[in-house]
Amino acid sequence: MRTALPLTLSAVLLAGALAGCQAGSDDDTSAGAAFDPATCQGGTLSVLNQGGITHLDPARLYTSGGGNIPSLLFRTLTTRNRLEGEAGTKPAPDLATDLGKPSDGAKTWTYKLRDNIFFEDGTPITAADVKYGIERSFAPELPGGAPYLRDWLVGAAGYQGPYKQPGGIKAIETPDARTIVFKLRKPEGDFPYLATATQFAPVPKAKDTGTEYEKHPISSGPYQVESYDPKKSLVLVRNPHWKRDADELRYACPDRIEVTAGLDSAVINQRLVAGAGQDADAVTTDAVVGPEQLAQLGPGGQLEKRVARGEFPSTTYLAFNTKKAPFDDVKVRQALSYAINRTSVVNALGGSAVAGPSTTFLPPQKALGYQQYDYFPAGENGDPAKAKELLGQGGLTIELAHENDDANGLGPKVAAAVQEAFKQAGVTVTLNAIDSSTYRDVTGKPSTQPGLSLQSWGADWPSGGPFLIPIFDGRQIITAGGNFNLAQYDDPAVNAEIDAIQALTDPAQAQQRWGALDAKLGQLALTIPLTHEKDVYLFGKNVKNAVPDGWRGTYDLARISVK
Amino acid sequence: MIGLLLRRVAGAVLVLLALSAIVYALFYLAPRDPAVLTCGKGCTPERLADVRAAMGLDESALTQYWHFLEGLVTGRDYPAGPDVRHCPAPCLGYSFETDQPVTALLADRLPVSASLALGAETLSVAVGIGAGSLAGLRRFRFLDPLVNGLVLAGYAVPVFLVGLFLLLLFCVRLQWLPFPQYVAFTTDPLQWAQNLILPWIALAVILSATYARLTRAGLEQALGEDYVRTARAYGFPERRILRSRALRGALVPLVTLTAMDLASLMASAVLTETMFGLPGVGQLLVGAVNQIDLPVVVGVILLTGFLVVVANAVADLLYAAVDPRVQLT
Amino acid sequence: MITLRRLLGDRAFLTGAVAAAVMVLVALTAPLLTALAGQDPTTYHNDLLDSARGGVPTGALGGLSGEHWLGVEPGTGRDLFARVVHGARVSLGVAFSALVLQLLLGVGIGVAAGLGGRYADAVLSRLTDLTLAFPGLVLAIALLAVVPQSWPRPVLLAVVIALLGWAGTARITRAETLSLKTRDYVAAARVSGASPLRVARREILPGLAAPVLTYAALVLPGNMISEAGLSFLGVGVRPPTPSWGQMLSTATTWFRADPLYVFIPGGLLFVTLLAFVLVANGVRRVLDPRQSEVLR
Repeated sequence: MRTALPLTLSAVLLAGALAGCQAGSDDDTSAGAAFDPATCQGGTLSVLNQGGITHLDPARLYTSGGGNIPSLLFRTLTTRNRLEGEAGTKPAPDLATDLGKPSDGAKTWTYKLRDNIFFEDGTPITAADVKYGIERSFAPELPGGAPYLRDWLVGAAGYQGPYKQPGGIKAIETPDARTIVFKLRKPEGDFPYLATATQFAPVPKAKDTGTEYEKHPISSGPYQVESYDPKKSLVLVRNPHWKRDADELRYACPDRIEVTAGLDSAVINQRLVAGAGQDADAVTTDAVVGPEQLAQLGPGGQLEKRVARGEFPSTTYLAFNTKKAPFDDVKVRQALSYAINRTSVVNALGGSAVAGPSTTFLPPQKALGYQQYDYFPAGENGDPAKAKELLGQGGLTIELAHENDDANGLGPKVAAAVQEAFKQAGVTVTLNAIDSSTYRDVTGKPSTQPGLSLQSWGADWPSGGPFLIPIFDGRQIITAGGNFNLAQYDDPAVNAEIDAIQALTDPAQAQQRWGALDAKLGQLALTIPLTHEKDVYLFGKNVKNAVPDGWRGTYDLARISVK
Repeated sequence: MIGLLLRRVAGAVLVLLALSAIVYALFYLAPRDPAVLTCGKGCTPERLADVRAAMGLDESALTQYWHFLEGLVTGRDYPAGPDVRHCPAPCLGYSFETDQPVTALLADRLPVSASLALGAETLSVAVGIGAGSLAGLRRFRFLDPLVNGLVLAGYAVPVFLVGLFLLLLFCVRLQWLPFPQYVAFTTDPLQWAQNLILPWIALAVILSATYARLTRAGLEQALGEDYVRTARAYGFPERRILRSRALRGALVPLVTLTAMDLASLMASAVLTETMFGLPGVGQLLVGAVNQIDLPVVVGVILLTGFLVVVANAVADLLYAAVDPRVQLT
Repeated sequence: MITLRRLLGDRAFLTGAVAAAVMVLVALTAPLLTALAGQDPTTYHNDLLDSARGGVPTGALGGLSGEHWLGVEPGTGRDLFARVVHGARVSLGVAFSALVLQLLLGVGIGVAAGLGGRYADAVLSRLTDLTLAFPGLVLAIALLAVVPQSWPRPVLLAVVIALLGWAGTARITRAETLSLKTRDYVAAARVSGASPLRVARREILPGLAAPVLTYAALVLPGNMISEAGLSFLGVGVRPPTPSWGQMLSTATTWFRADPLYVFIPGGLLFVTLLAFVLVANGVRRVLDPRQSEVLR
């Protein structure tokens, strides 16, 4: 996927993970050693959310690692390894018996399905169901979801879905009911990461009702839909045909899960703090704590026992359009890199509990290949003197584009902090607020792209590839719109290095090379990295095992208990 | 009488038509393309054309407006991908942003706004008439400063300031009430009232001031009127005069105002709804405006206009019913 | 003279007038005052914030100190005194500009309705009634949201507030014009063949001054409320320009952690509004003895 902008249910869920620093803290006061997945069953879990549950069709969801709520309903070929810290940044087998066997230089991936897997109606899940689920995600009637498969699979770029082209995708083979084979155009070492997406969830063809399917999607996970009112409520009850011994990762503790959406973020957090009645058994997957709660946090704070601190790999940065003056001048870009005041930006985002300063484009997760560098040291509060020196005589007036609200952390608050920092260096910044719903359209089309804009980038999965490729691969400059290579940077040597790393199937090797690539690109000052994300989520008094996983930075509904 | 009624109805329809045309023109000219917004990221030119056709945006402004009017009377179908979205009459448009007919969205929010408006209006009228009539009687002249203060406050305090103060006092400091969270009356009447009491009070602080002032002024005037003096001369007991005559006269201007306030509160208590997080029509508008969800914006404004026009007519009838000098003929 | 003496004898009016005058003075001299305090409304003071606790100001009372007379803003550390004082400019500036536009529109339309023919009167009166009845906030939000973000917001705010708030003035003007029209001296001027424009200018307008100004005095605080409300909803002035309504809307997320941040803009808004309402009230009592009773 290309962005952390919350558009779909799952994207909202992962955007909840708007932070990213230290791997989870030890909140073993409530979780920890005493927790036993074998005896955690019972009770009703309430999920209080701002948005989400707009769609429930696995073809339409855009998730990182399978999402939080979707993952209760849909099992995928692989899924995220639901652990804290670095262990949690790895994929794990889900419907499949392993992470897939690469062959032909990682251009062919073969998966075997495990036994004892059933849909909610008791029908066994077959490889054909997984294939059909992927094919229908290509249907224009079911928009949404990550675009990678269309690009990766051989000859699938123009496929219009099974409703118009019942022949299906030739590049996905199912030699028997337990085996599924993917043929790719080029080597993709990250395929096991992509296979965590909900598009890899099985869909029984006989039960497919097209756009109506999401009213009651057929579950393959521990829960099934009891009732669903888009954007308002979703009630999940146990799927009687899900087998605990065939799913080691999902504990499925509560008997019932009630999701309410459309609540105000401040109200959600107030309710979680108060914990009255049913709210004692409540959590949220998208309401990051507000200033009111942050002020009560910290060592000795009474709320400290009821927060989960995680990290979702995401970077907020300033993007230069190097085709536009004055940003075609590397000196100007360097000067502004020196002038930036990262402390002001951190505070504008809600302080050091929810954001940390970043001098690198890759966020500080080992899984992404993070290597420390700081070529234009601005210190904590910027170095306006050095910036002035580089800019020489005469002031500079530039325009900064940003979103018109602060919901995604790209709004007026951060923009004003940047404006003030540049002012110290004698640079006058005029602010250009763009409607948040059109923001990516405006900045993503080179013809309308502003010279300087506030951006953020989140990981579709914890690997350097999806983090760096859309931003720096010269072949990814899309003039029609939807472009993320905002620097419009195209260097054949960099492109070749990207291809080489993508062919690697050893994550450790790939990490090292992605990190080195980031460090090399950093010298060019194509972006000014500002901050990386940290996530702080509250949970109710009775909630146990609310441990943030390393992949998404939030606690996992499939492993929480309210008993 | 029937001629008058017909003229009134025709006038009201004309007003609503004019309003819809103005609002439609306003947003049609807005420099933002709703089709681009609906199409979303990674939108290809072909898909954009499809979306535009589905939303009916490929036609001229006038044709679009005409279809809109047609839809109001007969309902309307929107082609969207493989299936068709039906928008039953009276169709105020279809929100592609939320994939629902505007009328459904409004119907969804109206109970919240109606709860807010009705409760606030009831409270305001009760407090306003109570304080106003007490102050209007000579014996209670000492209450004057209180009413004056109330009136001043009504003019000098924005509703969001009152709201903020109430939240601070009752939810944060004293913690007597939870943070308001709308609960439908049909779900739990007690919780419904408990969650709405603060917004009601906030609005009543502003509204009751006007009512108190009008009641007092009306009462003072009525006590000097001929019909009251006549009643006195006939020897009617003072209390009965007050209740059946003087107060009735004083209520006349109040009735009109109440009806109008109620109508405008239904759709425009935006600030109160925002302050207390109530998912009413006002919040719907703010959200729609942010997403440039044109059909919803037009829908809310038309609903507001409709309510105001209806309230106007109702007020006229009530006026006749309550004023001892006006006889229904 | 008598008028003035009566006004000066009214204690409520005097209090209001002094407070209002102080606020106007503060707004006019905002840059001077902030310079005097050694602050400006945009400089960030990260060192005064507790970043780990969400950026709440360190120290009691929202970071209040000898340097920062009213403390600093949570999240940025900007000086609150400077911001509040500059916010007064926006609040009062928009309210006054809108008032001028409202008076021009309202008096123009009111006089035209009063002096014009039967049809002109019917059309204009109907328009006035409609504008008066329609909840302006709804339209204002919609209007402010569709105009391009680059247009100057304070001007836009004044125009939108004026466009939706001229009707009251128009109604009063029309009523007064109709009553003035029947006065002997006006009738005489009309009979003697003076052009309607001349009649309007020479005979009607002077007579309108008292009632219209009385009403206008009350419209001003109304405009301030509108500006604050729109800024509160996020369709008002754009940051980093400070405005009271906007400050209040950020403050709502801070009221437990930093109560002073709520009370400063909120209290100032309240005091200023009250001052202007007291002034309006006093003026009405003196100029409009028919309605000796408080306000209408």
